[in-house]
Amino acid sequence: MTTGAPAPTADLEAGQRKSEPCKACHGADGNATIPGTPSLAGQPVFFTHWQLIKFRDGRRKDPQMTPFAANLSDTDMADLAAYYAAQRPQPRPAVTDPAKVEVGRQLASQHHCVSCHRPGLTGHEQIPRLAGQDLAYLVKLLRGFKAQTAGDLDGTMTTAAQPLSEADIENLSHYMAALPPVPAPPR
Amino acid sequence: MLRITLASVAVLVALALALGPLADAQQAAPPPWKQGQPSNMADSTLAPIAQPPAPKAAGEIPVDKIKVPAGFKVSLWAHGINNAREMVWGDKGTLFVSSRVAGNVYALVDKGDSREVKVIAKGLNLPNGIAFKNGTLYIAEVSRITKMVGIEDKLDNPPAMEVVYDILPRDLPHGWKHLAFGPDGKLYFNIGAPCNICVPPDTHANLSRVNPDGTGFEYVAHGVRNSVGFDWHPISKRLYFTTHARDWMGDDSPSDRFDVVMRKGQHFGYPYCHAGDMLDPEFGKGKSCNDYVKPILKTGPHVAGNGVEFYTGSQFPAEYQNRAFLAQRGSWNRSKKIGFRVMMVTIDAKGGVAKYEPFAEGWLQGDEIWGRPVYTRTMKDGSLLIADDYAGAIYRVSYSR
Repeated sequence: MTTGAPAPTADLEAGQRKSEPCKACHGADGNATIPGTPSLAGQPVFFTHWQLIKFRDGRRKDPQMTPFAANLSDTDMADLAAYYAAQRPQPRPAVTDPAKVEVGRQLASQHHCVSCHRPGLTGHEQIPRLAGQDLAYLVKLLRGFKAQTAGDLDGTMTTAAQPLSEADIENLSHYMAALPPVPAPPR
Repeated sequence: MLRITLASVAVLVALALALGPLADAQQAAPPPWKQGQPSNMADSTLAPIAQPPAPKAAGEIPVDKIKVPAGFKVSLWAHGINNAREMVWGDKGTLFVSSRVAGNVYALVDKGDSREVKVIAKGLNLPNGIAFKNGTLYIAEVSRITKMVGIEDKLDNPPAMEVVYDILPRDLPHGWKHLAFGPDGKLYFNIGAPCNICVPPDTHANLSRVNPDGTGFEYVAHGVRNSVGFDWHPISKRLYFTTHARDWMGDDSPSDRFDVVMRKGQHFGYPYCHAGDMLDPEFGKGKSCNDYVKPILKTGPHVAGNGVEFYTGSQFPAEYQNRAFLAQRGSWNRSKKIGFRVMMVTIDAKGGVAKYEPFAEGWLQGDEIWGRPVYTRTMKDGSLLIADDYAGAIYRVSYSR
């Protein structure tokens, strides 16, 4: 026999219970309404779980999220990720500028966003859904990757964000926020 | 004449205006894993296999599916080690285990029937490489090597990570490292190409070494795309290494490779010549494969050879002495999966390859995988540990006659 951290078998009901403290910012069902706060509904299981690990380990930093993640167990993370993945994502009430959306559409093609985030930017596996995400959050995160302070899993986004100008970030974010929030395909 | 010239200028200006937006619409670099993909593969759905965020529970690990030669048996030795990669023994019997994207380094304490897993470092930048000498654990992240002095006496309160060498390139693609002490007492590691296929800067695509005090950095081998596994032959003391070959050249080419360094400064071909006999369609123009070292073994396309370890244990049959175990983490850039196994290489008297055959396989069932063997480490009793970064587990292969 061997011991070690027991690998979690995700429990949706437990995830819902454990999401109580998250509701204030991320919404009752993972659909946030506060500008700058991401919606978690319909995000891939691997994505949410990896982000929680990064917050717990200090590789991703946020004044609000860091203390919440500090005491989560591996099982907590698996349950939360499974719960949010099962929720239906709703559009965010962002006001997007059609001209910026159009420029952003071209930029998304030039920068190969669909290579990892999949057609429609729905996300999959460890890669997040961007479609219909909060505008202010998208801008904040892209600026973070550009500044090399957002700490991604394997460096792909930090590399991808380097050629982006501030206007590019703005336009890309408008495009992504305006897309319908189709959930990621299940694993 | 004047009119024609003006007209020409007008045409040029009009052309420039028309082309302006096109020029602006230049493609940015694709993500590193997609770079080098030819246009006729643009619709490919192949992408790297996602690393699960959590290790599998013991009950989810079908150890009985791992096939080994007659007389050998496999057991689950440890689990619950997220993204388990390299393994090195401490002087006092601690097994140190690295990870890559999980950012952790672990210490496993053998409790007889079970193993206790302690996290001794976390939040690191792809800390794949670990080595141990004289009570000190060395850790290689992307751009630095650090050490923990006297770690085995302080597993619950690890000492600070002291910098050994921290001016390595910061590029993340192929930036993670294998780290090992050579017979000369120097620390060896790889600096991978920062791309799938490109002419790398002079500082990349090599094997390098540095003294354990951080002095005397030098390059050992050039033209090495990304080697994250090497070891020294127990008798000849020569350095043998595996290399991951480039992607997006089809299911069956180029082959990954297994090489030996005969002298310092040799060039192994990347990015000009692959597998010793295949010029790169883009960067091979005007080059000859005869100008570069050829592999002693083509290990197969996309097999992703990681760990290399020569067996010197006392438990396995005599013919296993000095054989090399090659852990192959398995393919993603191939329509039918290949690898996901541990192979073994018998080295002949001249240092070449006499035989290449499977040792452990079964992580790949049909086209589905449940684990990815990535590194091996011989135990004191001569049995062989195999780390699986996908399942977060370590298996033990033992032999009894």
